[in-house]
Amino acid sequence: MINLENITKIYKIGDVQVVAVNGITCHIETGEMVSIMGPSGSGKSTLMNLIGCLDTPTSGIYKLGGMDVSRLTENELADIRNKKIGFVFQSFNLLPRATAVTNVELPLVYSGVRNKRQRAMEALESVGMANRASHRPTEISGGEQQRVAIARALVNNPSLILADEPTGNVDTQTSKGIMAVLQQLNRQGITIIIVTHEEDIADYTQRTIHLRDGQIVNEKKR
Amino acid sequence: MNLWESIVTSWQTLYTNKLRSALTILGIVIGVSAVVFLVSFGRGHEANVTAIFESMGANAIYITSATSMTAGLGGATGSLTIEDAEALANSNRAPSIDVVAPMIEKMGKVIYGNENRTVDIIGVTPEIAQAISYPVAEGEFISEDDVRRRTDVALLGSKTASDLFGTANPLGEIIRVSGRKFEIIGVLEEKGAMFGAADDFVMIPLTTMQSRILGQTTARGRPVQTIGVTAVSTDQIDAAREQISSILRQRHHIREGEDDDFVVIDMQEIINRMHEVLGIFQVFIGSVGAISLLVGGIGIMNIMLVSVTERTREIGIRKAVGAKRQDILRQFLIEAAMLSLSGGVIGLTIALIGTVLVTGVELGAYSVKAPLSIDIAIIALSVAIFVGLASGIYPAYRAARLDPIESLRHE
Repeated sequence: MINLENITKIYKIGDVQVVAVNGITCHIETGEMVSIMGPSGSGKSTLMNLIGCLDTPTSGIYKLGGMDVSRLTENELADIRNKKIGFVFQSFNLLPRATAVTNVELPLVYSGVRNKRQRAMEALESVGMANRASHRPTEISGGEQQRVAIARALVNNPSLILADEPTGNVDTQTSKGIMAVLQQLNRQGITIIIVTHEEDIADYTQRTIHLRDGQIVNEKKR
Repeated sequence: MNLWESIVTSWQTLYTNKLRSALTILGIVIGVSAVVFLVSFGRGHEANVTAIFESMGANAIYITSATSMTAGLGGATGSLTIEDAEALANSNRAPSIDVVAPMIEKMGKVIYGNENRTVDIIGVTPEIAQAISYPVAEGEFISEDDVRRRTDVALLGSKTASDLFGTANPLGEIIRVSGRKFEIIGVLEEKGAMFGAADDFVMIPLTTMQSRILGQTTARGRPVQTIGVTAVSTDQIDAAREQISSILRQRHHIREGEDDDFVVIDMQEIINRMHEVLGIFQVFIGSVGAISLLVGGIGIMNIMLVSVTERTREIGIRKAVGAKRQDILRQFLIEAAMLSLSGGVIGLTIALIGTVLVTGVELGAYSVKAPLSIDIAIIALSVAIFVGLASGIYPAYRAARLDPIESLRHE
């Protein structure tokens, strides 16, 4: 599913070069549920952005589903994000003035499908949020917002869902619910990668990759 | 993302920020409504004035002496004489000329009872009624007989009549004109206040004016100030002018190469000059409108830039879920275009209401006409949309270029 070969990402900040990811080689199989852990500045966000096709590596090869995506154009990457990847963010990142169902429809708007409303409702249904379809993000709880965000991530039937601290802004009880939803999606065959700093969350995954200073320092299978 | 979805999304965004959107389009609204209304009004005015001039005789030609043009309304001091007028009336020598109406104008005092007015005193012959249509409202016009016998009769302009007599019937009353008694034989219809004191005058027989009021003769004969002439038809105006020129040059002994001592101007020329003046006025209005639209465009650009900054995170979210550069670009361009289009449509509506409101308003005898000028409406609307799109390009380009990772971090 995901093949990273000697991936390096260097940022230039003024005259200073910052090596955010330093020669990472890593493989993630289809249907795996993997967590990435590491202290802040360890490069885990950069790695997520690279895997999520929001950014391209400075060097190295990234194959997603057998396709080399490390040298694609901005528009080609947008297309891959739209059709193959779903994002779940710590701060939910829903459009504040749009209803839940409109938020869920958003990826479909850019892939040009016809039955947007129906598919968005099905996605909301699968995360138990159909009864909140016409609510705006400000009218529902954090946990509910994150479920709506998960519905948005899965609405276009992606093969990969990337979750960046998905439980960072909700309480423990709600965390369990969100992780249950992600586990359920994983059981349906979707590859899931979670960035977290909580061991509890990492325990839900089959494998944890530990990063430090842009390199993999440890891998632990459960 | 298809066009319709972009339009719906843009509309929702603008609708959510109603007040801001309304203020943003104000410049465009004012620009479009001002240009369309003022041009419509100006054209209506132009048509009105043209109609008034043409009612005074589309074939009319005026001859004045070159000196009296500079000397002002000082009486008949110029080179033209009543004999000149008689010569022009000879249809063998001037076949293109129909009616010849010599006249003299002088400001003078008119007294009736305690009422005392200084008005234009015009010495005329009966032909004036044909050269310039001056219908008599009451009584009768000055006759050939009055001119021949130098009778002391007078016709009043409608304003002079009401100033002196109020609502009373002036017919048969005696007034004093420059100290001499005149009997009123008629009152003229109201003509409108297009040319200052158009209805404020007293008409008396030309001969009476010359001998009793002015008492002037020159070596050439009895002087007149203006000779009004009509051509037999509009296409004979140029021929009539040539005949006037050759007869008067011969009579005034002007040699080849010397300047005329008279000035000839015809109604078409007057109308053309008026069109020129009004044309400059229209260009001026157009420039004011263009500036207003430019300012409106800058307003749109300003708000669009603010909007891009405010919605950085939204742009990041859209890009993360698959929006391409062109999707974001199009969304912001459509927002700018919708702003300017709605501004333009509102401006047009205001202009339309304005033209309907002023149409038919009476200013004295002048009834305002302002038919909405469709061509200007289309041009103003197109320019408004163009301005909106042009001002949207830079903000939209900035939005489209935003990096998704940076945008998602934006607070």
